Amino acid sequence: MNSSVETNGLSKSFGKVHAVDSVSLRVGQGEIYGFLGLNGAGKTTTIRALLGMIRPSAGSVSVLGQAVGPNGRGPWRRVGHLVERPAAYPELTVRENLEIARRLHGILDRSATSHVIERLGLATYADRKAGGLSTGNLQRLGLARALLHEPELLILDEPANGLDPAGVVEIRELLASLAREKGVTVFMSSHILTEVDRLATRIGIIHKGHLLVELEAEKLEELRSQRLEIKTRNPEAAQCALAQAGYAVKASGSTLLLYEAHAIEAPEEVAIILVKAGAPPTRLAVEQEMLEDYFLRLTGEKE
Amino acid sequence: MKAFLSAFWAEALKARRSKVSLLTVAAFLIFPIIDGLFMFILKDPERARGMGLISVKAQITAGVADWPTYFQVLLLGTAIGGAIVFAFTTAWVFGREFSDHTVKEILALPTPRGVIVGAKFVLTALWMLGLTLMIFVIGLGIGKAVDIPGWSPGLAWSSFWSLMLIALLTFMLMPFVALFASVGRGYLPPLGWALLTMALAQIAIVLGWGDWFPWSVPGLLGSLNGSHAEPVGMHSYVVVVLTFVAGIAATFAWWQSADQAR
Repeated sequence: MNSSVETNGLSKSFGKVHAVDSVSLRVGQGEIYGFLGLNGAGKTTTIRALLGMIRPSAGSVSVLGQAVGPNGRGPWRRVGHLVERPAAYPELTVRENLEIARRLHGILDRSATSHVIERLGLATYADRKAGGLSTGNLQRLGLARALLHEPELLILDEPANGLDPAGVVEIRELLASLAREKGVTVFMSSHILTEVDRLATRIGIIHKGHLLVELEAEKLEELRSQRLEIKTRNPEAAQCALAQAGYAVKASGSTLLLYEAHAIEAPEEVAIILVKAGAPPTRLAVEQEMLEDYFLRLTGEKE
Repeated sequence: MKAFLSAFWAEALKARRSKVSLLTVAAFLIFPIIDGLFMFILKDPERARGMGLISVKAQITAGVADWPTYFQVLLLGTAIGGAIVFAFTTAWVFGREFSDHTVKEILALPTPRGVIVGAKFVLTALWMLGLTLMIFVIGLGIGKAVDIPGWSPGLAWSSFWSLMLIALLTFMLMPFVALFASVGRGYLPPLGWALLTMALAQIAIVLGWGDWFPWSVPGLLGSLNGSHAEPVGMHSYVVVVLTFVAGIAATFAWWQSADQAR
């Protein structure tokens, strides 16, 4: 598969701070790549390096097969981007802001501006000054600017920022349809795990400047640990019986937790033990680890 | 060329929609209005004495009410006021991209960064040219309205070119303001720089080195008709041109290669 985005040993330091350290990632054509990380993990620095806004301290970056170098060199006619919070010229209207972008992108089709205004649901605000827009509409304006020239690659930093729940769903569906129907590659950073989980086909997790893991989205489901949760009216007897049967029992409040594979795969055996011990379960369920918990476990922020 | 025209169109639209353009017009209009007011007062000494402090200041600055004096005050006002207004304009054109956080929207585009910076400089130059032409034309109108004695077309013509030369030299000092607006990412560093160079220019003139100090040269030209100025020679123009070239080169280089991490 052709790579739309590729970094090799990308590092960036600001003085003594290593914002990004030896990050090597590859995003295939048509993929939606979710770039996950906590605040300050190095997501935006990586994105700025992809867009040629900062010089890597080491390593290389190529976008759509072209090396991104100094002097702003890069295939920017084919790339749409949104970096950090969206910005616009406050005294200009939404349409004028997009007109500037249209001309600087060298788009001859004058209807491109109106088209993207409609597409992003900004028609009502087209002639309003950008300085008076809500955060959500400013985000829409930023996304409109990124999509204006119908790019092959979208590099988006926190695209759902500031959007209301309906807007989040709308943008998610828009990005998914662009990838599905037009083969647009999307590289999006986020710290909202569920958002990335719902949209991305592949996920990279960055923490303290290091790329911890890259995996297919389906694989993420498998890696999230499972556990058997037990509730009973007599937890002491249940814990004692399960321990005698060789299970490693953890208690969380009045809930007993079993993490071993043989408990998760055969909960009925656990139920039998509990019934025989006179502590029948009032609830017995295999639960998957929360995405947030998995993420925090992976980044070492939580045991 | 098409890319440049697009970039220039964008810069012009931003300037047209901004209140800053009106603000600079208002600031620059002060010079011919005050100059005309002085002439009006000086024309009638009895009234001048009756007006107290203002008339005293008018006598110190202008002396007599005639067209040569009127033009001289206008030139000096342009040299000093122009340095402030032009610096303010340049600081806004470059610094606003950082203040409004829009710089990240103009870095990864098919239009090269150098073209955008070039368009900003051209806009700044045309803006300053417009302001200079405006104060000359309005200055003539005010002078005629006040009915100052001593008019001659030759004097007006030579004063016009002196004014344009002062404006050009002042503009040539602006790339460093643009550089400070870019490196300092906003308005305060370039305005601080402008005030610093104005102060240093006065010190250089006092020390007798004004003709060698680029930021003193427009002021010296503005007061050439006075008797105390150092001679502005070819060397003075050379240092201004060198300052211009250094400022332009540094600003372009910074936009091309500096990290844009904020």
